[in-house]
Amino acid sequence: MIWEVFRQEKAGGYHTHCGNVHAPDREMAELFAQIQHGRRMKTHSLWVVPQGEISEVDDERAHFGGTTDKAYRWAMTYNRVDGSFAREVAESEAEQREAARKRKEAQS
Amino acid sequence: MDLDTVKTEAGPRRFSPKDDMPEEYRKAATRMIQFHANSEVMGGYLEKPFIRQAPSLDRKLAFSAKVQDEIGHAQLLYRAAETLGVKTRDEMLDELAAGEGKFLNCFHYPMTDWVETPMIAFFVDGAAMRRQATLKSTSWQPYAHAMDKVCFEEGFHVKHGEDILRELMSGPKATRERVQEAFEEWWPRILQFFGPVNEQSTHHGFASEVGLKTMANDELRQAFLNAYIPKAEKYGLEIPDEPRLIYHEDEGRYEVVEEDLDWDEFWTVAKNDYEGSDEQIGSRRRRQEAVEWVRNAMDSWESASAGAAPQAAD
Repeated sequence: MIWEVFRQEKAGGYHTHCGNVHAPDREMAELFAQIQHGRRMKTHSLWVVPQGEISEVDDERAHFGGTTDKAYRWAMTYNRVDGSFAREVAESEAEQREAARKRKEAQS
Repeated sequence: MDLDTVKTEAGPRRFSPKDDMPEEYRKAATRMIQFHANSEVMGGYLEKPFIRQAPSLDRKLAFSAKVQDEIGHAQLLYRAAETLGVKTRDEMLDELAAGEGKFLNCFHYPMTDWVETPMIAFFVDGAAMRRQATLKSTSWQPYAHAMDKVCFEEGFHVKHGEDILRELMSGPKATRERVQEAFEEWWPRILQFFGPVNEQSTHHGFASEVGLKTMANDELRQAFLNAYIPKAEKYGLEIPDEPRLIYHEDEGRYEVVEEDLDWDEFWTVAKNDYEGSDEQIGSRRRRQEAVEWVRNAMDSWESASAGAAPQAAD
């Protein structure tokens, strides 16, 4: 049986997928996950999930974010005003700009 | 975990559903997150009519996207609140519809005219974002994770709101005067957004001791005023003489003369007893009733398929 492994580096952070292990049961899956994925990388917590319990939808099947131009949803569109006056607005805009850049990169 | 341990260990994203949290913590966190979630719903409902009333296609698209975001934020927050094990999402939504759920003061007032929209979309959203940015460091991890996504999205809301203000204030004099009137009406409510001075806030002490809140009302309002007053002035809005704001140049801070604000009205609003409260809550309640059949259909589908699964596993 295959178990997908998710590692959380620090307390309070997100568990992100880092690989999978063969194991006959939950307990062994936790043990093997520790050995394979928790030893060298900084680890605070691991999740193991039976592979069959994970559902997937990918970009072959779905247009994530749709196919229409949604420029109106991005802070960068409103460029006649300056978001730098408030730190939290500027940070949000920077995160959005980065996300847009990655999306564009993936499309090209 | 006992309460003393919670207070000693409190820090950003410190506690999660894995921790056995004392009832006082779980109740306080539920009250705070439920209030926040309710406010997202009610803010969305306040802006919903402007999808129809928007003066252009661009604004219509942006308003529909915003309202969708706000309702999505409510869903994230109800999920974060549910993880405390005090109330379910259904219970919280029912409380809101029944007029028992509390939410932000500004969302109790009707908004009818397009010139009012920047008051919510720029100033109130801006104030909310200031507060939300500090909640990325709240001690309840699911709440902080919800804030990561909310803050990511909100930048568009605030900039869009500012863009409406910019557009209106570069319009004809008659329009600028109407915006000024709307500003004067909303300004005291906006000043009250962050609540009363800290001594009067019933829940502040505990929430900050256990790390749920990381910044005091006064500090948040201060940061908000320092950023947003120059913006209002930049577009030609005049800050009303009352309530008085005294700028202390040496300290770079504004002092709000608290007694100039109507706190009786604030507390009436806080109890959902204000004349506008009924109307706003009613718009949500009627919608909830109208889509009851959808929830029922989904619930019966879920219980039908859930009944089969464990048997197969056994």
